[in-house]
Amino acid sequence: MSVRDLKGSGRWWALAGCLLWLAFTFFPLYWVAITSFKSPLGVVGGPTYIPFVDFDPTLTAWSELLSGARGQFYNTFISSTIIGLSASVLATFIGSMAAYALVRFTFEVKLLSGVIFVVVAFGGYLLGRHVLGYGQAISLIYAFVAALALAIGSSRIKLPGPLLGNDDIVFWFVSQRMFPPIVAAFALFLMYTEMGKLGFKLVDTYTGLTFAYVAFSLPIVIWLMRDFFAALPVEVEEAAMVDNVPSWRIFFGIVLPMSKPGLIATFMITLAFVWNEFLFALFLTSSKWQTLPILVAGQNSQRGDEWWSISAAALVAIIPMVVMAGILSRLMRSGLLLGAIK
Amino acid sequence: MTRNDPIKHFFIWPALLIVLVISIFPLIYSLTTSFMSLRLVPPIPARFVGFGNYTELLQNPRFWNVAWTTTIIAFVAVTLQYVIGFSVALALNRRVPGEGLFRVSFLVPMLVAPVAVALIARQILNPTMGPLNELMTVFGFPNLPFLTQTRWAIGAIISVEVWQWTPFVILMLLAGLQTLPEDVYEAAALENASPWQQFWGITFPMMLPISVAVVFIRLIESYKIIDTVFVMTGGGPGISTETLTLFAYQEGFKKFNLGYTSALSFLFLIVITVIGLVYLAILKPYLEKHK
Repeated sequence: MSVRDLKGSGRWWALAGCLLWLAFTFFPLYWVAITSFKSPLGVVGGPTYIPFVDFDPTLTAWSELLSGARGQFYNTFISSTIIGLSASVLATFIGSMAAYALVRFTFEVKLLSGVIFVVVAFGGYLLGRHVLGYGQAISLIYAFVAALALAIGSSRIKLPGPLLGNDDIVFWFVSQRMFPPIVAAFALFLMYTEMGKLGFKLVDTYTGLTFAYVAFSLPIVIWLMRDFFAALPVEVEEAAMVDNVPSWRIFFGIVLPMSKPGLIATFMITLAFVWNEFLFALFLTSSKWQTLPILVAGQNSQRGDEWWSISAAALVAIIPMVVMAGILSRLMRSGLLLGAIK
Repeated sequence: MTRNDPIKHFFIWPALLIVLVISIFPLIYSLTTSFMSLRLVPPIPARFVGFGNYTELLQNPRFWNVAWTTTIIAFVAVTLQYVIGFSVALALNRRVPGEGLFRVSFLVPMLVAPVAVALIARQILNPTMGPLNELMTVFGFPNLPFLTQTRWAIGAIISVEVWQWTPFVILMLLAGLQTLPEDVYEAAALENASPWQQFWGITFPMMLPISVAVVFIRLIESYKIIDTVFVMTGGGPGISTETLTLFAYQEGFKKFNLGYTSALSFLFLIVITVIGLVYLAILKPYLEKHK
């Protein structure tokens, strides 16, 4: 017993409060679970609460859903799974590499190079689009390449102005999450459409959506993994460096295996975000690569409110995440997120 | 300790490139479009209008209405999330009986798709077959128009936000509470400080930096709300529950009014930035006092 433990009546008040919160949390989930087993008549007749007591459960909604009578259920489930898994794996991998680099290596970017990048990218686009009369996609690509080349080139030569360090780069990555996604989603849709006119189909494709999700998840991955890597003992890596082990082998052979719990948790958090994501999926998919949230939202209006089938569809989207909550909470125990909030 | 090794470029460039391509491209595109009059359906060729879209938006009462609705939803929801979240985190940190069970279960809402949550909420709030109205009838209330009357609808959206995101607040604050040093509390207990005094004197000030960060994250995320509103009310009745993102979606994807939508997105970005800066400026003296 530590001094912090609750004693006396406070303990029971806290318990009562937590139970109330638990009821508030779980009642909606319970409700959707039982509704998916109700028959149409059982739903319309008014609220019923306990299966076999005040209503007779049926499997109609589930068999309709699984037989594909309610839209492309299997395709959607499979594409959701494929995109979710591959986007989270890629984002975790690429993000961890960046996070590791930002923890262990020194980066110096001249503020002026960043300014050059932005100015050239904007100016080049405007120039290509409105003066030289190129198409949108072409002028964007030219402007981007020119801006990148100039920015990298300018960082090599001596330039005045302040230097940005690792923390500033991390801040830049994380600040991408502050951006209202509608800005990105809509412009991305138009950019993808333009790319489609050039022959690279990106709207409603695997590549397009996965790419968007990787970019969308990277800030979180970098934020979480950076603190995780920083908490690893540096001595092991130093010992390896003394033995002249190259950096990439230190990373893949020593650092990644050591940070497995962090990687798993980060992967799962990313997966949850991608799995539930609505706005990008709404803009960037139409049929073939539609994801579950879109299908679930679509159940709403198709044939009026058929709550039994809506519930079943919603449950399919929920169940994998409930399983994940169980696994995640075990990982949380190991203090994973302690570093992330400092 | 950091070191220098050319290999660092291989580590960072993949992430850097992807983020540059996916976020700078849209930024360039929308910023330039926001100064133009451009419509796809019916097609109107691009025409430079300067700040025309912005002034038109700022004069549109619908914009102010939408901004106000979003602000109410965000501020009320985040306040509730913070108060409830802090209480639950405190209870869990002080090992309330059954703490293990609560820990697992409080994570669940965060991981459920907002769209699914909104659909469940619509069922529960349904006037004829929803359990909530039956409960209200037991207490003697008439059938309440939860989703079809503005006040109730906004309340319903706020409740859903609280349901879904209080877990995030609990998670972060609980992690923070566990890093607090034990000896300060031992000293306070020796001085016979009451639990209330301990909370206001020790816990709350020490948790202030984390609280500021958590509230900040939640506030920004709440401003982006669309999924739940989209499914629960579709912005209705009328446009009374429409939020900024939903408004942008309607203008952009239903009317394909590109210049206008881009200007709206940037106004949105400005609103969020201003709120963020004001928030941090207000809290700065308190943060420094407790350092």
